Amino acid sequence: MSHGDVKSTRDTIKSENQQRLSLGRLKADEFGRAVSKIAVAQICESVGFQGFKESALEALTDILVCYLCDLGRNASFHANLAGRTECNLFDITRALEELEASHGFPSASDIGHCLVGSGTVREIIRFVDSEEEIPFAQPVPKFPIVRNRKLIPSFEHMNEKPPGKHIPTWLPAFPDPHTYIHTPMWNERASDPCADKIEQARQRRKAEKALLQLQQRLVCNGSSGTSTSLATDAEKEKVQGGESNPFLAAPLQPGEKDVSQVVSPAKPTDEASKGDHVSMLEAFAPAIEAMKGGPSDGEKLHLPEKRAAVHFKFRAGKKILGEPLDLSLQKKGERGTTAFLRIEERDDKKRRAEFILRQTTEFPMELNQS
Amino acid sequence: MNHNPQSSDGKHDDDSALSDFLASLMDYAPTIPDELVEHYLAKSGFQCPDVRLIRLVAVATQKFVAEVASDALQHCKARQAAVVKDKREKQQKDKRLILTMDDLQSHCASIFIGVWK
Repeated sequence: MSHGDVKSTRDTIKSENQQRLSLGRLKADEFGRAVSKIAVAQICESVGFQGFKESALEALTDILVCYLCDLGRNASFHANLAGRTECNLFDITRALEELEASHGFPSASDIGHCLVGSGTVREIIRFVDSEEEIPFAQPVPKFPIVRNRKLIPSFEHMNEKPPGKHIPTWLPAFPDPHTYIHTPMWNERASDPCADKIEQARQRRKAEKALLQLQQRLVCNGSSGTSTSLATDAEKEKVQGGESNPFLAAPLQPGEKDVSQVVSPAKPTDEASKGDHVSMLEAFAPAIEAMKGGPSDGEKLHLPEKRAAVHFKFRAGKKILGEPLDLSLQKKGERGTTAFLRIEERDDKKRRAEFILRQTTEFPMELNQS
Repeated sequence: MNHNPQSSDGKHDDDSALSDFLASLMDYAPTIPDELVEHYLAKSGFQCPDVRLIRLVAVATQKFVAEVASDALQHCKARQAAVVKDKREKQQKDKRLILTMDDLQSHCASIFIGVWK
């Protein structure tokens, strides 16, 4: 039986072995045979061969494995014969002599000689001295790998008393009763969903309260700003804890301030005050009229005792400075619009920075939500 | 048993030679790795904690396989020499020495192995 393939390198042999393994036809001792194949190939290469036929290589591997097993078996036999379980040098020497007896070795005819002077050993010594050392090509791990089996603990280990007197304690323990007895189960965490809902509602209420407070503050700032601005028309306004914001202010009426022509931003407030869009104008007509009539009412505007109903728009996402503006506008369409006209004259950056600072320190929950 | 002083000296030499050899085996790295040898020896019941004996077995096996391979090589070379004798010079093509089953089954190699697959 000869195959036509010629495999000349160790790498191809290894890859072929891997291919065989990947096909799933894993036989016992596949790894050992693969390693032996590599060793045999190395020995043949040292002898002088430049290539092998696959079948010839496999045959030589078989020879190597058989030789090793025979040697081990003979050596252990001789050791057992001498009443020992562990083999020593002389057992190996006897085994070697036995294996080579068929084709002869030096001093084979000397019977009754000391094994130390055995011809086989001398030949091996000669071989080692003459041949150059060829170490194995790859590092081989210790095999076969022994898996630690998880043993069932005994009664002693479990500190359990065996259920019967006839059962010794060193035997494996019985399995737990829950593995074979069906007991009724009740849901211990039945109240938890309700508690979760309650907690959720509480958090929502807290958020609403915080937003309400924020809005109140904004309104207070707006109204207090209004009172001061009415007193001084063209003077610079004082900083009131950084609560006023130029973004809260309504834009100037057209013609009030000499500014360059700017494209009006798409904000409802701008449109409402400037009156660019008819629809917006119509919507905010009553508010605008109230605003116009605002300053004539008096120097100070009073906060009504009762506040109108507030409809919050909860918007998830970015917290932009323009948001409070919408809230405030919805709430107080009549009040303090002229005040905003004055507020815009303040330092923009300062206001903005203080507003942001306030937001982060006072309403951390809103920040979390956003 | 003869108690020849010469033979006793010889034994002493043999002892020392053997012990030296075993010591030198620790430095020598046989081609067959120790793990492989230990695996197959354990399979066959060989039990020995001494690494030097494992190396000795490895070297003995290596010597045996090398002898078989060299016998096959001689057979292969003889075959090539016979081919070259022909008129055609096919030296370049047959320069490579390939191990084949025919070489292994040659008369020289078969005497090593009792049972042939």
